[in-house]
Amino acid sequence: MRLQIQNVSHSYDQVEALRDIEFGIEPGEVVALIGPSGCGKSTLLSIIGGMLKPTSGAVVMCDQAKPEGCLNPLTYVFQDFALLPWRTVAGNISLVLEDHPLSKSERDERIAEVLAQTNLSDFANAYPKQLSGGMKQRVGIARALAVRPAVLLMDEPLSALDAQTRILLLDEFSDLFARTGMTAVYVTHNLNEAVRLAHKVVALRRRPGTIKEIHTIDVPINERREGMPELIAHEQALWNLIRDEAIAADKELENVA
Amino acid sequence: MRSRDLMSGAGKTARRSLLALAVGATVFGAGIANAAEKINIAALTFVSSSPLFIAKEKGYFDDEGLDAEITFFRSAQPVAVAIASGDADFGVTAFTGGFFNLAGKGALKVIGAQLHEDAAYDGSAILASNKAFDAGLTSVDKLGGHSFALSQVGSSFHYMMGNVAEKAGVDLASMELKPLQSVPNMIGALKSGQVDSMIIVPHIAKPLANAGAAHIIGWVKDYVPYQVGGLFTSARNVEERRDVVEKFVRAYQKGVADYRAGLLATDADGKLVKSDTTDEILEIVHKYVYADQPADKAYAKIRNGAMFITEEAKLDVQDVKAQVKWYQDRGYVSADANPDEFIDTSFIAPLGE
Amino acid sequence: MSHEGAKQMAQTPDTNSEPVRFRATGFNPKSNPVAAWGSFILVIALWQLGSSTGFISELAMPSPIAVAKALWQLIISGDLWLHLGASLQRLVGGWIMGTVAGLVVGFLVGMFTWARSPGVALVSALFPIPKIALLPLFIIWFGIGEPSKFATIAFGVFFPTVINTFGGVDNVQRNLIRMGQSFDLPMWSVIRKIILPGALPTILSGFRISSSIAIILLIAAEMIGAQYGIGALILAAGNLYQTDQLIAGVVVLSLMGLCVSWLLGRLDRWLLGWR
Repeated sequence: MRLQIQNVSHSYDQVEALRDIEFGIEPGEVVALIGPSGCGKSTLLSIIGGMLKPTSGAVVMCDQAKPEGCLNPLTYVFQDFALLPWRTVAGNISLVLEDHPLSKSERDERIAEVLAQTNLSDFANAYPKQLSGGMKQRVGIARALAVRPAVLLMDEPLSALDAQTRILLLDEFSDLFARTGMTAVYVTHNLNEAVRLAHKVVALRRRPGTIKEIHTIDVPINERREGMPELIAHEQALWNLIRDEAIAADKELENVA
Repeated sequence: MRSRDLMSGAGKTARRSLLALAVGATVFGAGIANAAEKINIAALTFVSSSPLFIAKEKGYFDDEGLDAEITFFRSAQPVAVAIASGDADFGVTAFTGGFFNLAGKGALKVIGAQLHEDAAYDGSAILASNKAFDAGLTSVDKLGGHSFALSQVGSSFHYMMGNVAEKAGVDLASMELKPLQSVPNMIGALKSGQVDSMIIVPHIAKPLANAGAAHIIGWVKDYVPYQVGGLFTSARNVEERRDVVEKFVRAYQKGVADYRAGLLATDADGKLVKSDTTDEILEIVHKYVYADQPADKAYAKIRNGAMFITEEAKLDVQDVKAQVKWYQDRGYVSADANPDEFIDTSFIAPLGE
Repeated sequence: MSHEGAKQMAQTPDTNSEPVRFRATGFNPKSNPVAAWGSFILVIALWQLGSSTGFISELAMPSPIAVAKALWQLIISGDLWLHLGASLQRLVGGWIMGTVAGLVVGFLVGMFTWARSPGVALVSALFPIPKIALLPLFIIWFGIGEPSKFATIAFGVFFPTVINTFGGVDNVQRNLIRMGQSFDLPMWSVIRKIILPGALPTILSGFRISSSIAIILLIAAEMIGAQYGIGALILAAGNLYQTDQLIAGVVVLSLMGLCVSWLLGRLDRWLLGWR
């Protein structure tokens, strides 16, 4: 499915968060949204998935091409996992399938399938509080995959995790994107994540959030490795792009932003 | 409500004690003898307390050298409690299971009579609701299986119904007793037909029947000799202040005599008539009872409510014993309550002797 | 400092050395079931001693033995079961009515803007009213039979349940609700699968309060027209100054409270096992 972001602007009360955002998300493409805090990247992701109404402009699904068995074309993966603590791992995945006309066996099949994909098969009956942060986010991924989404919308999925877990999950995401050719929008403030996962990096500027540059990385995702000179060069370029903005953001008082 | 009454009683006692202390000091200092003896009387603003009001207003207490103060209560039981606890010295109220239980614990002595059901005078009436009357509850012997409103379990209403039922051949166990806590609730329930029957004092029963809100199907006086209530004091007063009790009893009996002369006078046919003192007595009673209503209305109500009191306030000891036994048989009064111990006839001779 | 040197120091402590004192003492109460039961037994023993020696007069307070006898009398005469049966019926019926209504209103207030402000205003205004003051009205509305008794208890249970429920709904993490919506869960599913279980811990702790209120209101409910019932028994015993029966009735109420509390504890463990 191709998504077109058309002239999206958004204001919270008096504060203008986004202005005239316009770009497209091609099928099979991973788009990273980067920028300093307060540039509106999470706001933009909410607008893309229909969780926030933009002040003006629109996000358009340009065709109806969806994966087979797709139940929820635009599906989020959350920074804080958003798992129901009173449901088991399998129950949390089941939650998003129960309201669809699937037979019990179809549902169980899907659950088993996504658990296997995320190496969670042994934890099907565990409760979220028994899991580490990394495992919880794997459940979040499994839940998203269970509805066979057309576009995966990932909101800083690694920022609540510790550094080691982040490395592990980053590899897993990379595998996932390489293997499935999933279309995704990936919000992050970590440039390393962006250059590892994205085909296209949209760098935003703050106050108001506008597109500063769309940066393309043409190394196939499955060939990307940690420490590759090419990737380091891309990361450096991105850093140069947003450095001044980041410094300005850092100096600003939290509540003003 | 009840606790507030007790509280205010306690407060008054404290104040009174202080006052007594101050007076005592003055008396001691000045060396004056024969200061008036202070007594506190617990009463209800009912016609049944009238002899007390008459004795107070006509100076009978003063004549006996008693400085009487009347404290008012809202219901009968706190009167007994106030006397048991020493907050008041004398009281008159109806007999109830609760009263006998308190008396059985040794704190109270019954020394005389309050109201009495007498065949010659209107007493409490047995009422049927319009709904029940229309459905066939037209006489007392048909009460079986009907509901009956009372204030509380073990109240005088309960006893009256029990005894009427016994005499009329009605099985009390077949009746559904509805404790409604207060007389207004009972009236409301009967008027609206939520209960089938109740027993109530004449000055409430007659207006209800006259207004067509209920039917009188019988009178308690036709079924039982019944000592409705008594005059009582604390056991300590009987032991330690015998002279004061004697003085009080004399004054109370004078009040009873005036009450009888003013409100219970009858002609040769036994019909209630107005006597020379009727207006005087009504005027006195009206200061305390229905005081918020104009005289013409209040006087009629007082006359309606003026039930019989025995001469010299003689107590129907046999009937009181029968009442205690009735309550004891049903477990409402503890078996160790002994009427011989809490009735003291040394001040006023018992009825019929 | 060399490794050897460090060892040396450990072996020959300076005369000024002292172990670090443990400072994190107290502020950590632990439960002790023996002490809990012991305190009961001690109070009852002291009470009995006071009664036996005449220090506590029988008029002021019946002795524990007299209370036990009264209780035993109620049991063997079978009256206790009559009273208990009548009361439990009213308690359970009234509590369920009040709780169901309270949950519905609580959810509406918790979830919908149109219900929020009017609901909070009305509940805040009506909650503090002593329900016993409204008893005469209940009698006019519902008569002196069972409905007015159910209404008294239900009314008392309703308000704390509303307050607790909307508090619980407010406490459900917004991100979980957003998550449900992002997966296009129908509203009923969001309510049933996310909001209800999320609010459940608060609602269950509210049940403890509302069940206690129901037991407290039993006396008020059974003031009018109740021939049987623990509240009616206590009231009648009070009116008759049968203090031993009065305390026996209070003991039964207190046991009822303990049973309810135990049952709710079980319900807690069953429904909130995930915690």
